[in-house]
Amino acid sequence: MSNKVAIIASNGGLFDAYKVFNIATAAAATEKEVAIFFTFEGLNLIHKQANQALPIPEGKEHFTEGFAKANVPSIPQLVEMAQDLGVKFIGCQMTMDVMGLTKEDFIDGIEVGGAVTFLEFAKDASPTLTF
Amino acid sequence: MAIKADVQLDVKGLTCPMPIVKTKKAMNDLTDGQILEVQATDKGSKADLAAWAESIGHLYIGIIEEDDVLLHYIRKSGDSEVVEKKFEQTITNEEVIDRASNGGFILDVREEAEFTFGHIEGAKSIPLGELEERLDELDKEQEIYVICRTGKRSDLAAQKLSQKGFTKVYNVLPGMGSWNSELSKEL
Repeated sequence: MSNKVAIIASNGGLFDAYKVFNIATAAAATEKEVAIFFTFEGLNLIHKQANQALPIPEGKEHFTEGFAKANVPSIPQLVEMAQDLGVKFIGCQMTMDVMGLTKEDFIDGIEVGGAVTFLEFAKDASPTLTF
Repeated sequence: MAIKADVQLDVKGLTCPMPIVKTKKAMNDLTDGQILEVQATDKGSKADLAAWAESIGHLYIGIIEEDDVLLHYIRKSGDSEVVEKKFEQTITNEEVIDRASNGGFILDVREEAEFTFGHIEGAKSIPLGELEERLDELDKEQEIYVICRTGKRSDLAAQKLSQKGFTKVYNVLPGMGSWNSELSKEL
């Protein structure tokens, strides 16, 4: 059985962030080796400023109340927890170049790589998930 | 009723994935064989913690619901579970009921929490760690069938009893982990 979980984060909304980081931390807590490849809008999830206030899909603003009521951790908290559990974050170099971003725009501790970096990790991972 | 646990973890009010993350961290500080009680209000934890324990290889003993709080009991298992069994006098799960009904005595040396969630009717609970100080509760004239989950703790217990002058001691194999007959619970 594979002990790796590979995740591609390619969307930048608040809901996307929860899907990515909940699965990632749960997998890491179950002693899996986890890597997340952040690409296109997914880079928002680890952008120093952007990930403090990720957008909620239009018409779903009322969820904000539900998040508070359910005592769900914030995205920066989940990010910290994921890193604490050893989850590897890989920022997509090509998208960063397109968006004019550098490693300094992102939270500490990320790696920057291309598609092959992720594919190399994911080749024997099960499952590989895309959000 | 209260179930004995070595460590308590309060994750009340937290939602997925926090109960799992906190349980994982708390478990790091336990030694093999100790029992963790996880107090949760997240209903998802019912299925999640059992699946988590299964995935890592810890023993998920059971759950109790008290008002709105879910109390999970998990026993930490490490690699040391696989150990050669040394005690030579053994009987099988299938034999133990018959033998006990002819005047023998079933001694369950698992932790109290494991015993509470299911044991053989009439068995006596003395966890392995308490055996030495509770020897006076046992009768040297009676046949004693020592059982645990996998035969490992009962092997150690049988060796200990034998050193203390008990001769009619048998280790029951393979143990409660493979018990298919009826169980009593004390919940």
